[in-house]
Amino acid sequence: MSEGLKGTEIVVKCLKEENVKNLFGFPGGQLIPLYDELYEETDVRSILVRHEQGAAHAADGYARASGDPGVCMATSGPGATNLITGLLNATMDSIPVVAFTAQVPTKAIGTDAFQEADTFGITMPITKHNFLVKSTDHLSWTIKGAFKIANTGRKGAVVIDLPNDVQQNRSKEYHHGEVKFAGYNPSIVPNPLQLKRIAQKLVEAERPLILAGGGVILANASEDLRLLAEYLGAGVATTLMGKGAIPENHPLSLGMVGMHGRLGANKMINNCDVLLVIGCRFSDRTTGWGLESFAPDAVKIHCDIDSSELNKNISVDFPLVGDANLVIRDLIKFIKKFEDVKKDTNIWRKRVNQLHSMCEECETVKPNGKLTPEIIIKTINNFLDDNAIVTTEVGQNQMFAAHYYITKKPRQFISSGGLGTMGFGFPAAIGAKVAKPDSQVLDIAGDGSFLMVCQELATAMTEDIPVVVGILNNSFLGMVRQWQELFWDKRYAGTKLGTLPDFVKLAESFGAYGERVEKASDIEKALKNAFDSGIVSVLDFKIESETNILPMIPPGGRVDEMIGVGRCRHK
Amino acid sequence: MSTQIISVLVEDEAGSLTRMSGMFSRRGINIHSLTVSPSEKEGMSRMTIVTTGDEREIEKIEKQLNKLIEVVKVNILDKNTSVVRDLCLLKVYADKENRAEVLEIANAFKSNIVDISIRTITLEITADPLDIDRFVETMKNFGIKELFRTGVTAISRDIEKKSGG
Ligand SMILES: Cc1ncc(C[n+]2csc(CCOP(=O)(O)OP(=O)(O)O)c2C)c(N)n1
Ligand SMILES: [Mg+2]
Repeated sequence: MSEGLKGTEIVVKCLKEENVKNLFGFPGGQLIPLYDELYEETDVRSILVRHEQGAAHAADGYARASGDPGVCMATSGPGATNLITGLLNATMDSIPVVAFTAQVPTKAIGTDAFQEADTFGITMPITKHNFLVKSTDHLSWTIKGAFKIANTGRKGAVVIDLPNDVQQNRSKEYHHGEVKFAGYNPSIVPNPLQLKRIAQKLVEAERPLILAGGGVILANASEDLRLLAEYLGAGVATTLMGKGAIPENHPLSLGMVGMHGRLGANKMINNCDVLLVIGCRFSDRTTGWGLESFAPDAVKIHCDIDSSELNKNISVDFPLVGDANLVIRDLIKFIKKFEDVKKDTNIWRKRVNQLHSMCEECETVKPNGKLTPEIIIKTINNFLDDNAIVTTEVGQNQMFAAHYYITKKPRQFISSGGLGTMGFGFPAAIGAKVAKPDSQVLDIAGDGSFLMVCQELATAMTEDIPVVVGILNNSFLGMVRQWQELFWDKRYAGTKLGTLPDFVKLAESFGAYGERVEKASDIEKALKNAFDSGIVSVLDFKIESETNILPMIPPGGRVDEMIGVGRCRHK
Repeated sequence: MSTQIISVLVEDEAGSLTRMSGMFSRRGINIHSLTVSPSEKEGMSRMTIVTTGDEREIEKIEKQLNKLIEVVKVNILDKNTSVVRDLCLLKVYADKENRAEVLEIANAFKSNIVDISIRTITLEITADPLDIDRFVETMKNFGIKELFRTGVTAISRDIEKKSGG
């Protein structure tokens, strides 16, 4: 017991071996030992958030922006339970996050001790995997195993619950090298026979369409995806998580599909003859309802790293397990072999290009003096440089951003997909900025969402993390209000926000920069002021309170049955 | 919808049973029975799960089970080529008047008498679960005081391949 490394020394040693440079946390009694170990640590920066949910989201945003696992920590009991939303958010979007939670000493477990929570039990269904470490001897093995699980196969959050004595005891046990699990061996190499069959189908296609999900981004396969699309003459639509998998200013890009997707993308889903779906799990927000009418006439190909996603929501003709990167690379190889039998896709390609440019010239983003979400985001498109990262909150703000923001590179559009967590965007922006300090980082926010996490202004000020929050301030929980307007007889129950804070003064009270914007002509100047200020900034865009994000698939509608298409030229 | 027997080899880790049963409840799948016991491999247990579902549903369950880190191997047992057993302990009312009849039926089902009191007989039977169902149904006529079943455990038969010739 008195020999070897202290538990907390083991934690920090492992963190360094995993190349962790930053972590986000909030202390408490049982976590003092680990905080103490990090006190004079210079290689691992420990960023103090103001609410544990912020730590989990920041770690998540860090992982999305960097491609490396994000790390967060919280104390036992309420600290651990405050992480929950963030952990599920990461797991649902397959983002690698490792969370350390303190626990009461092993002897006290089960006694309902002060700030004891069954973190292991609570986090089991919301993480990819979790551990309760009962002895310091197992600590290094567990941490290395946790990073491996979080960051391989289909990624996700992993929790390590650390009792106080496990942090403080010493152990001579230290696991070197890779941790192996008898039951965990994610298969990432695609089956060549199936690849060949799929390649054959793709070259036979006259109207090929690719639907790219977040898996393409997670696998860093965007460059090859573009090559594949260009080679096939395939249109590329993406899910919300897939935004940025292809440059959205590319003529083959059709934008996002689904409930708030683009009409053109949704229509093309049901017009294509071969649909190649990569790294996407067919969420209901992507497919609409009536799954039998999703691409009914197309040969459906589904490639995913998680075999349990294949034939789960939609039955497909050609399922294939594999890492998107390897799948796409190998498909290109096979397709080249079938060059002589490849069908001409020129007519289809022209149609795709046409739909692409129709959206580019969208009437709704023509300046008319009014401060609308469309104009704000169009101005943002022109203002931000090519390395900028945009995060979003949840609601209309998110869907305006998803619909109108032109994402040019992967890992530069960060949004809560599966869980749809209000309050994600701001802490995620903080995490993204820590990962990419030289990139402009902007959170496109809603007033309701930002209020849930605005205390993180203190984090961003103290730690010098200058992100910009642009609030599309409609004084409403806008997306819910939109549903009430369209489907619930305009009964705005619980969605009017009443007295909102003065967001400019709120920012200023933290020492941050704040500016109110009321005219379209002031958007650009405000953005410039915020980014030039060099500190965390809040822009309060006063938009009309009852504006809607349209078109949309109404609840129960099929993918190509959008409402509110009045302004779409290609209806 | 048919009954399916799934045999799972899992690493002995704290929580692996919860993780497994949690997966079933989270995905809305009913478990008819679940047994856990040591396996021939050190540090690993075998869980036998009985559930219902068509081929597609069972395939989904299999994939979800395989995703769990502690799960090493999943086998869907074919009832035609497996030995399936359940053990039942049953306490049935048997007084002077019907005792002989109870014993006769117990005998016919090849169950063993494990305890006798003035008003009851306790029987033990190890058999295919369907046989036990029939046994229990029959005994209901006399009044069952207590009933325990262990749940299904099963093993596949080694089918000898005929050598060519
Ligand atoms: C934590 C959380 N609670 C509730 C919801 C349900 N919800 C979805 S969108 C929305 C409104 C969001 O309001 P706001 O942030 O002002 O954005 P807006 O839609 O007005 O742009 C609500 C309440 C949610 N997604 N997340
Ligand atoms: Mg709002």
